[in-house]
Amino acid sequence: MSEASKDQYYVPHLAKWPIVGSVGLTVTVLGAINLLNSENPGTPWMLYLGFAIILLMMFGWFGEVIKESEDNLYNTQVDTSFRMGMIWFIFSEVMFFGAFFGALFYARTFSVPWLGGEGTGLSTNEVLWNGYEGVWPTNGPGDLGGRFELIDPYHLPLINTLLLLASSVTITIAHHALRANNRSQTIIWLIATVILGAVFLFYQAEEYIEAYRDLNLTLSSGIYGSTFFMLTGFHGMHVTLGAIMITIITIRVIRGHFRPESHFGFEAVAWYWHFVDVVWLGLFIFVYIL
Amino acid sequence: MSHDITHDGVADHHDHDHKPKGFVKRWLMTTNHKDIGTLYLIFAFAMFILGGAMAMIIRLELFQPGLQFVEPDFFNQMTTMHALIMVFGAVMPAFVGLANWMIPMMIGAPDMALPRMNNWSFWILPFAFALLSSTLFMEGGAPAGGWTMYPPLVLQGGHNVAYLVFAVHLMGISSIMGAINVIATIMNMRAPNVGYLNMPLFVWTWLITAFLLIAVMPVLAGAVTMLLTDRYFDTSFFNAAGGGDPVLFQHIFWFFGHPEVYIMILPAFGVVSEIIPTFARKPLFGYVSMVYATAAIAFLSFIVWAHHMFSVGMPLGAELYFMYATMMIAVPTGVKIFNWVATMWKGSMTFETPMLFSLAFVILFTIGGFSGVMMALAPVDLQYHDTYFIVAHFHYVLVTGAVFAIIAGVYYWIPKWSGHMYNERLGKIHFWWSTISVNVLFFPQHFLGLAGMPRRIPDYSTQFAEFNMWSSIGGFAFGLAQVFFIYIVWKTVRGGEKATGQVWEGAKGLEWTVPSPAPHHTFEDFGPVDLDKMAHGKTH
Amino acid sequence: MKIVIILMLLFILFSLGSAMFYLVKGQGKSQNTVRFLTVRVVLSVLLFLFIILAAHMGWIETQQPAFLRP
Ligand code: HEM
Ligand SMILES: [Cu+2]
Repeated sequence: MSEASKDQYYVPHLAKWPIVGSVGLTVTVLGAINLLNSENPGTPWMLYLGFAIILLMMFGWFGEVIKESEDNLYNTQVDTSFRMGMIWFIFSEVMFFGAFFGALFYARTFSVPWLGGEGTGLSTNEVLWNGYEGVWPTNGPGDLGGRFELIDPYHLPLINTLLLLASSVTITIAHHALRANNRSQTIIWLIATVILGAVFLFYQAEEYIEAYRDLNLTLSSGIYGSTFFMLTGFHGMHVTLGAIMITIITIRVIRGHFRPESHFGFEAVAWYWHFVDVVWLGLFIFVYIL
Repeated sequence: MSHDITHDGVADHHDHDHKPKGFVKRWLMTTNHKDIGTLYLIFAFAMFILGGAMAMIIRLELFQPGLQFVEPDFFNQMTTMHALIMVFGAVMPAFVGLANWMIPMMIGAPDMALPRMNNWSFWILPFAFALLSSTLFMEGGAPAGGWTMYPPLVLQGGHNVAYLVFAVHLMGISSIMGAINVIATIMNMRAPNVGYLNMPLFVWTWLITAFLLIAVMPVLAGAVTMLLTDRYFDTSFFNAAGGGDPVLFQHIFWFFGHPEVYIMILPAFGVVSEIIPTFARKPLFGYVSMVYATAAIAFLSFIVWAHHMFSVGMPLGAELYFMYATMMIAVPTGVKIFNWVATMWKGSMTFETPMLFSLAFVILFTIGGFSGVMMALAPVDLQYHDTYFIVAHFHYVLVTGAVFAIIAGVYYWIPKWSGHMYNERLGKIHFWWSTISVNVLFFPQHFLGLAGMPRRIPDYSTQFAEFNMWSSIGGFAFGLAQVFFIYIVWKTVRGGEKATGQVWEGAKGLEWTVPSPAPHHTFEDFGPVDLDKMAHGKTH
Repeated sequence: MKIVIILMLLFILFSLGSAMFYLVKGQGKSQNTVRFLTVRVVLSVLLFLFIILAAHMGWIETQQPAFLRP
């Protein structure tokens, strides 16, 4: 093992987890496809199996990496590679959200006004959708899904914004505490962050239930329902992912990982959480309020 | 260092000069950039043959007017699957394979920056294409709405919609991880004394390509996700009755799609920029301007997407804007063409097979660029759109462009990979056979398109018969030429004249400083390299 | 008033981006990442307060479907 010293770029050998990951992805996807395509789907065992394999892969893979990291096999250059991997991954996430925000802006500034007769849409409106008023929010000229009401932004969404903002504050405090080498403080504030995130998710679920049950606002409520649920839904998935990652980080801090001057895993996860919070701010402003 | 670090639980594989033994360890669990590069190239070639077989079915049906061999719906499945397989399964993975093999060796790095993820990027692909291809054997068949997946047509595909969408997701995950790896490698793994402006152009073009990939593959993922929810969850992204717009899909798709065509051609520019200086025995003319031109093309590729939508009904201002913006791309592209020509000017040229393919690239790609500029004119594009003219255009840029560059790259680097020279005579035969047949195949399609023959239709009016027959004959010949190519590659890998480390007299670059075949691990000490050996090192 | 909100959002994005830049550049040793993240949290809190104020003062109107408007 002599060459595994810190002045060499560490190149692992024989990776067994990627192929497990591929199988996991494929099983998951097949499970989802069968679920979508069957008339009366039973319990989606295949989907669950896929998720289980992916989880196994993640534990195995991350476990290997964390072990190597704690065994001091990584030099700063390896560290930089991980950092780059992380930021470019986040960039791809930004672009993914960008597609959905783009759809939202396109619908609000182009397709809905056109259907309402603006610009070149005049004859479309006259002939096909006479009487339709193209104003946002709308379920379209076909009144798809029937009349719906909006979530009052100043109740649950406001609370949720507060919760996520507070969680960003707590993770920042944890960040400062880690830099000051104050472990117990770090742990406390990290746990607070996870709890705030979990409560956020709880209220988000609450909000969906209210939308479906009381407001008749559903995925099929035309373009408003589509953009509303897809944007907040994908955001919610990212909050879930972030909360899981913070939990892992917390466990690592408890086990004594990370040092004030070297804690990339921590910084990356903290940054991710900030990113998820900023996306929510964008949602709060453009989906709920303006 | 402690001895208990037996990650993977295997203790004996630290003997670096030996490849891991056994199929599973060597190929399934590999983290070696050369082995992964080989996997990518083999996979790409297999997909090239599969997609090519579909093309043969298309040309067979179009050999004569009338419906002879296949059902119209199956014909549409063939055009759709052919394009998807060629774009995502053949051309893109082939370039990733070249990147894996060459980039670390070109910048003096021991491996790719994230070797485990590198393995995963590859091993997702076979699963993704198995999913996609499995639809061919299902009730209702494969997707048949065109590779552009326009709604509402594609949503009428029945069960295959979900397969299509998730297969595209998997390909996207693979491409994004591959691109992240390339960027991290180039930005972080250059040998200590190699600066950005010492890098070979192939590395530069891949850096920019990787950026494009990370920027647009997620957008495609978003677009197909909306297709999925429109089909299965009653959303209205592309449904006017719900306030959405089918044209919205086209905007999102082409925001991905136009950068995507540059993803397929920028690395080709890189390959050709390596080969031409070698055989002209002159340094690349205008290296820095090549870098800027590449960056300019990448930037412009984000702001021209709606030139694919001139006939769909856009506001006049948008038509004008996209027309002028598109024509601007011809400027940096022209810079490149002139630089290649200037590199050859007064060079002492020889015409080995890689050089022949590169020369054909320069000429034939330019033809494709010209027809592109013609279609960029919004008013006349109303005539060209969705005819065989555009089929001719994108096959000139993709087959005689991207694919020719890949073939040139294989001939150029295969001595380094395998340690054997290919048979020059057979290579030349392959070149002339391919180049003549590909022009017989695609050039008449310009005339067919101008005369109004629509694309993606299995039957046609009798006045188009003659050109179609020529095109089909060219197609079969070209297909056969590529089977011949397999034979040449196979023969080279199995044996043949031993290659030296330098291989080509005029070649410069770090990859030529290591023996042929390149050892399993190269540049392991990660020290400074000899900049004089690099084409754009100290001396230039 | 909308423009104020959007400008602030842009500032927040900028500080988030700067934090990301230093995440790679700083190798974890510099203070910059955590500093920019702190800036972005403070800005977000301010934006939040501003939105509440703006809604309270009637500077911004919340969306309503056409059939529910007065
Ligand atoms: C000077 C550069 C280029 C210009 C001005 C240009 C212009 C265009 C235009 C206007 C169209 C749309 C035609 C229509 O649908 O009516 C088009 C289609 C296309 N181009 Fe290009 N192009 C250029 C280079 C390239 C390159 C380098 C590639 C690929 C390597 C490429 C691949 C394609 C493909 C695949 C399509 C057809 C997409 C489809 O509808 O299926 N083009 N091009
Ligand atoms: Cu284009």
